[in-house]
Amino acid sequence: MLILIPQSAAAIMRSSGPWGRLSLRINHPERFAVVRGLSERGDGIFPVEPPPEHRLLGSYPPVSTGWWCRVHADLHLMWLALSARRGMLMKLDAFKAAVPNGYKAPGDPGYWAITHAPGLKDAYPEHNLPDLVAWHVTREGAQPISVSVEPEATGICQLKDHWPVHELQNTRIMLIGAGSIGSATAHALAGYGIGHLTLVDPDRLDWHNLVRHTSARRHIGRSKVTALAEDLAALRPDTTVTPWALDVIEHADQIRALLADTHLVVCTADGVAPRRVTGHLARRAGLTAVLACVLQDGALGEILRLRPWPQHGCLTCRRQSLAQAGGLDPEPALDAGYGTGTRHRPMTAVGSDLHLVAQLAAKTAVATILERAGHPDQRLPGEHALLGLRRQPDWAPPFDLGHTAELRWLPATPPISGCPTCEAP
Amino acid sequence: MGIDDAFDAFQKTVNEDIDKTRLARERRDLFKTALLSEPDVVETFGSGSLSRSTQLKPIHDVDVVIVYDPDEHPEWGNDGPSAQDALEHARTQVNRLLSQTNGTHANEVRHTLVRNHAVKCFLDDPEDPEAFTVDVMAALRQEDGSLLIPEKLNTRWVPANPEYLIGQVADHQRDWPHFRPLVRVLKQWRLTAPVQGRIKSLVMEVLALNCMPRFGNRSQALKTFFTAAAVRVHEGVWDPAGLCGQIQPDLDHAGLSDAFTDAADLAERACAAAAEGDTDNALRLWQKIFGDDFPAPAAPAKPASLITGTPALITARPIKDAPQG
Repeated sequence: MLILIPQSAAAIMRSSGPWGRLSLRINHPERFAVVRGLSERGDGIFPVEPPPEHRLLGSYPPVSTGWWCRVHADLHLMWLALSARRGMLMKLDAFKAAVPNGYKAPGDPGYWAITHAPGLKDAYPEHNLPDLVAWHVTREGAQPISVSVEPEATGICQLKDHWPVHELQNTRIMLIGAGSIGSATAHALAGYGIGHLTLVDPDRLDWHNLVRHTSARRHIGRSKVTALAEDLAALRPDTTVTPWALDVIEHADQIRALLADTHLVVCTADGVAPRRVTGHLARRAGLTAVLACVLQDGALGEILRLRPWPQHGCLTCRRQSLAQAGGLDPEPALDAGYGTGTRHRPMTAVGSDLHLVAQLAAKTAVATILERAGHPDQRLPGEHALLGLRRQPDWAPPFDLGHTAELRWLPATPPISGCPTCEAP
Repeated sequence: MGIDDAFDAFQKTVNEDIDKTRLARERRDLFKTALLSEPDVVETFGSGSLSRSTQLKPIHDVDVVIVYDPDEHPEWGNDGPSAQDALEHARTQVNRLLSQTNGTHANEVRHTLVRNHAVKCFLDDPEDPEAFTVDVMAALRQEDGSLLIPEKLNTRWVPANPEYLIGQVADHQRDWPHFRPLVRVLKQWRLTAPVQGRIKSLVMEVLALNCMPRFGNRSQALKTFFTAAAVRVHEGVWDPAGLCGQIQPDLDHAGLSDAFTDAADLAERACAAAAEGDTDNALRLWQKIFGDDFPAPAAPAKPASLITGTPALITARPIKDAPQG
């Protein structure tokens, strides 16, 4: 059995006293419960639950089923000793002796008890004992029960001593493309602690997206960015998300305005044109763009980092360099002028391969931010990453990866003379 | 010698002698006081690195800004000959007040030259390459608090705000007491950085403002600085006040970035060595960055090997097998 103690309940037991009644919501099949309400002494029980959307075991009825009380520190030392051995009980007389106020004799079914032992750090500094523990008290004795007290911080700030949380919480990233790679990239960026994500994608979640997208069936028909924003709000509340159901080409003016308040752009959009437009807008705004996609129908993952630096070419220049070297063959149907050709080829890759690319894209974006902030442990080995997903023989260099999961980093190539993106307007 | 002691000792080799710094300040203040007595001058203040306490030795020159009353010079501030007129006016005042032969306030200035933005006043023999000079800059205060500065060659007045940088440096220093000393260290470092052409000292100062943290010890801060500066130098180094544009458009950005990257690699290794308790190796690595003036570790009492003169053995650190899932 495990009893979960919300922070509000823990605060009351730590500051009030010396005893009171206890109300739990209990999931018997899965053998865990959560404190739902408390009283002070014999007064009425008042709820200590968070709002309904964050409530645990909300579908289980509250049961007034036990007591809480303040006890001597020695009792928690005994709890620790008994917990280490399965099935051990503490004699009822000994339990009673350790409870100076509020001891209740158990009836037939017994009851649950939570004990609070103040001053443990002074009494037993070497044991790191919890100040709140639980018991199942029956006529046979008191059995130690596992507890989990909600800590003050449960978000990304838990990692602040080990990860540059402050810098990333103050970082704003625009993600263009909220599809299979984009949705997983958004989750990964939020997992790294990015403080604000601006999501841009005009599409709605459709049946065929479910096999690869991170959003669930209940979101079908909704805008992908709205569904993703809702998912992230529930899962990663430290990241604020602003959804924009916009097309980066059609609404370039709006995107350009949004870039003024952005530190880096990630593009996971399908097709050549949206990637070119994203790269162009980012460069004009003086921002780094990270572009992620799969090539060869999902056989190869690719991350491009486009920095707005004089020696670094834009997407078009980088593609042209590869094409001139015989490494890349432009797709004539996709690489067409505005208003012609097809927008993108239908996705055939498996979802988890796309999510692997997404994780690498997010890492590239975060490493770019952190290197600029002075973290040498986040420097990347290059500007262009190739990841083998379903390697095939005889691909031209630099795509000639030898194995699946092989990762190859390449440098940037310079701008090509006359490029309208790389050269100043 | 510990890392902090080594930085303290190195800092002494970078800093200008206190008596020479004091003399430079006295000379600057002489100009400020003398020119403030003029009826058309509303304020005077020191500018340049000495005013920010980020000066590198030797101190050859100091900067003084003379802010004039616009009502006394209504024609100033407009493009045209007034730019040169303002500089000539300042030069006349300097000569009348401070000329070695007949100055009414003091007898210090041996020669004056009108340059593009300032009047260069020689307090030593102008032929002496080490001659000390005071650069007197005429200015008009604008409504937003910034200045208009005459530019002789282009016969125009250009906006500038040197007090903004003074304030930014002071603010950083208030937060973190190592800032100004390390700016001097970085200005010294730039003199040996392998880049094409020179690096203006202001480039290093502005990069330090942008990339140096406001907390931590000097080792960690330099590691952060070199890493961040290697990236940010590619973005250009711009006047922090946003008025004067790029500070050195002809800077070898790629070369300086490479130099910063190399320094960042060494600094990272130095910090790791220090964290492992290998102070001697950390000192050697800092010495690689800053040169022989950075204190070397004390020589061992007895040679560790019969073969002398071999480089220190740096062993790779094994990874702990402590899996986490």
